[in-house]
Amino acid sequence: MGTGDEEYDYLFKVVLIGDSGVGKSNLLARFTRNEFNLESKSTIGVEFATRSIKVNKKIIKAQIWDTAGQERYRAITSAYYRGAVGALLVYDIAKQLTYQNVERWLSELRDHADQNIVIMLVGNKSDLRHLRAVPADEATAFAETNNLSFIETSALDSTNVETAFENILTEIYNIVSQKQMRDPPEGDTIRPTNIEPIDVKPTVNSDNVRKQCCQSS
Amino acid sequence: MGDHGQKYASDNDMNLKNSFWKKNIRNLPGRASPKKESKSVSSSASTSFDDFQESVSDAWEIEAEDEILRISAGECADSAHPPASSCYRNRFPYDVKISKRVAHSAAVNVINSHKASIEEIHKSKHYSNSDPQGESSSQAYKESRHTENRINFSNSEVDTNKLTKFQVLLESNLLQLEDLKKLSWSGVPVEVRPMTWRLLAGYLPTSSERRQQALDRKRIDYANLVKQYYDTDKDEVYKDTYRQIHIDIPRMSTPLFQQTTVQEMFERILFIWAIRHPASGYVQGMNDLVTPFYVVFLQEYLPIGTNIEKLDVSSISKENRDSLEADSFWCLSKFLDGIQDNYIFAQLGIQYKVNQLKELIQRIDGTLHGHLMKHGIDYLQFSFRWMNNLLTRELPLRCSIRLWDTYLAESDCFATFQLYVCAAFLLHWRQELLEEKDFQGLMIMLQNLQTQNWTDTDISLLVAEAYRLKFTFADAPNHLTTKR
Repeated sequence: MGTGDEEYDYLFKVVLIGDSGVGKSNLLARFTRNEFNLESKSTIGVEFATRSIKVNKKIIKAQIWDTAGQERYRAITSAYYRGAVGALLVYDIAKQLTYQNVERWLSELRDHADQNIVIMLVGNKSDLRHLRAVPADEATAFAETNNLSFIETSALDSTNVETAFENILTEIYNIVSQKQMRDPPEGDTIRPTNIEPIDVKPTVNSDNVRKQCCQSS
Repeated sequence: MGDHGQKYASDNDMNLKNSFWKKNIRNLPGRASPKKESKSVSSSASTSFDDFQESVSDAWEIEAEDEILRISAGECADSAHPPASSCYRNRFPYDVKISKRVAHSAAVNVINSHKASIEEIHKSKHYSNSDPQGESSSQAYKESRHTENRINFSNSEVDTNKLTKFQVLLESNLLQLEDLKKLSWSGVPVEVRPMTWRLLAGYLPTSSERRQQALDRKRIDYANLVKQYYDTDKDEVYKDTYRQIHIDIPRMSTPLFQQTTVQEMFERILFIWAIRHPASGYVQGMNDLVTPFYVVFLQEYLPIGTNIEKLDVSSISKENRDSLEADSFWCLSKFLDGIQDNYIFAQLGIQYKVNQLKELIQRIDGTLHGHLMKHGIDYLQFSFRWMNNLLTRELPLRCSIRLWDTYLAESDCFATFQLYVCAAFLLHWRQELLEEKDFQGLMIMLQNLQTQNWTDTDISLLVAEAYRLKFTFADAPNHLTTKR
C-alpha cells in the first residue's frame, strides 16, 4: 500500500466527528476509495485513510482520521484532535437527534482541538429526501452563527462528497498559505504532528459521566 | 506464512536455536527424521522457515502437544532456562532484568501443573506415551500434513482421538475442569465445543448430574430478565443505551446477521447485559463479542457442516432459539467478567494494556518498536481495537472461535494472556511492517492486516508464540517496568 512515496506540498490532518451512524466511515470510504457499504460496521477507536488532491497547483495530502461516534469513546478519540487542522462535523439529515448533538461536538472541539481548527458542518444522507428531519435552512443559519462552513452530502450517491473535502482542504490551504506569507515559514511543508506522544486525560468530563452512572445504578 | 519465515530467519536464529519448543522437539515421537533435525539445529545461517516449521510442526499434532509438556518437565532444568537467560540476553544485552531464578521457577511451575493434569488424563484412558503405535500414527498424521497443505482436521485420526478424550471428560460424573482446560487450550473439536464452552466459561457446574438442571434454571432466569427489563417500558436512563444498540446491530454485516430474528436476539442480549453492568454499560463493538458464542451455540441445533450463512434462523424452534439466546447471554457475561475494566469509563483497562503492549514489544523486538516510533505510530491507534474487540475485527470468524477455545481455557482468566496474543500478532507482521517506510503505509497496513486465509493452524501458531512470550515474561517481576 505504497501511499508513502507520493510527493506532496502540504499534509493536513482532518478529523471526522459526529454521532454514531451518521455516515462518517462511508464519507471517508467514498472520498478515499470511492466505496460505499450499506452495512458498515461501527468504528472502534479510530480509523485512518489518506488521499491527495490538487489545490492551486499544490498537492495537498489529506490525512483523515475517522472516529467512533459513541459518546463513551470520546476520551480516546479526543486524543486524535491534536494536530488536526480541519474537522468535518457530520450529522444525519434524517435524524434530528444527531443534529441536536452538533452543539456538544462543537464544545468537544473547543475543549480538545486547536482553537484555529477549520470546522465544516456536514449534513449527510441527503439522498433520504423523503425522511428529512433537519431543514437545510436551519443548518445553514446555525453554521453562519457559529462561523462554520456548511454542506449537505450523500456518501451513498456521492453527491458533494468530493466538494466537501475539497472545500475544507482549500480553506485550510488558504489560511496556511496566508499565514506563511505573513510569518516566515519554518520549512517548506507542513509536517504531521503525529510524532508527539498522545496523552489522554481521563479526568476530563469525568464528573458528568460519573453522575450518569450513579443515576442508572 | 512466509513472513513468519523471514521473521525467524532474519533475527531469530539464536532464539530459534535455543527456544523452548525447539529444544524439546528432539525427543518427540512424531519427529520426522534425525537428519532433518540436525540440519536445522546445526546451521543457524541456513535456517529457513521450512526448517523451523518442520521442527515445530510436531507441536501441533494434538497427541504430541501434551508430550512436549511432559517431556520438558523432565528436562526443564536445562530446557526452560535458555529462552529466559541466554537467548534473550543475546538479543537484549542491555536491559534483561528477569532473574534466572524467577524465570526458572515460573517455568517449572507451569510445566509441573501441565504435567500433573495431563498424566491424569492419560492414566484414566490407559494411554501410554511410549506406545510405539502412538508414535506411528503420529508419524502418519505428520506425513499427511506434508502432502496436503490444508488438511481437513475433522477427518483426521488425531482429531478423533482428541474428540474421544473430550467425550470421556464431559461424561465423567465430576468433571475435572483443569483437565478440560488443558485439553481445550489447543482447540476444541466442533462436536463438543458448545458444551465445552459452557463449562469453561463457568456457566455450568462440573457435576454432570446437576448440569441439565442448572441449564434449565439459567434459561428461565434469562427469560425473566427479558420480561423484567426488555419487554416492559424502558426506563428513561436506559433509552440511550437501547438507541445505541439499535443503531449498531443492523450494521452487522453478513446475511446471517441481517435477519431480523437474529438482530432482535442480539439486541436483547446486549441491552440486558448493559443494564446489569452499569459501571461499563454498552460499548460499541460488544456485539462482536456475542458473535462467537452465538454461532457456536447455534451450530448445536444444526447438523455438523451446515452453512450458517444461508440459514434462516426463524426456522429453528422458538424453544431452541430461546435457549441459544440465554446461553449466549450467560456465557458472554461470564466471559466479560474477567475484562470488565476494558469497558469502564475511558476504557482504562485497555489504555493500561496498550501501554503494556508497547513496553513488551520494546523489550522483545526493539527494531520493530523503533521502526513504529520513528514513523510516529502510536500503539493506541491500532491496538485499541485489538483489545476492545479481542481481535474479532482482525480475524475471520472461524479463527476467532478457535482463538476463544484458548481464551476460555486460560486458567487465570485470559486478560493477561490476551496481551501476549496481541504482542505475538503484531510480531507476526514484523517483516511487512519493517518494509513500510512511512506513517501512512504503516497505519493502513496495521488497520487492514490480511488474515482472510488464516486457518486454525495459524491461530495455533499465534497462541503458541503468545504462550512462549508469556512463559518468558510473565511472573518476571521487572518484565514490564524496565525503561530504556
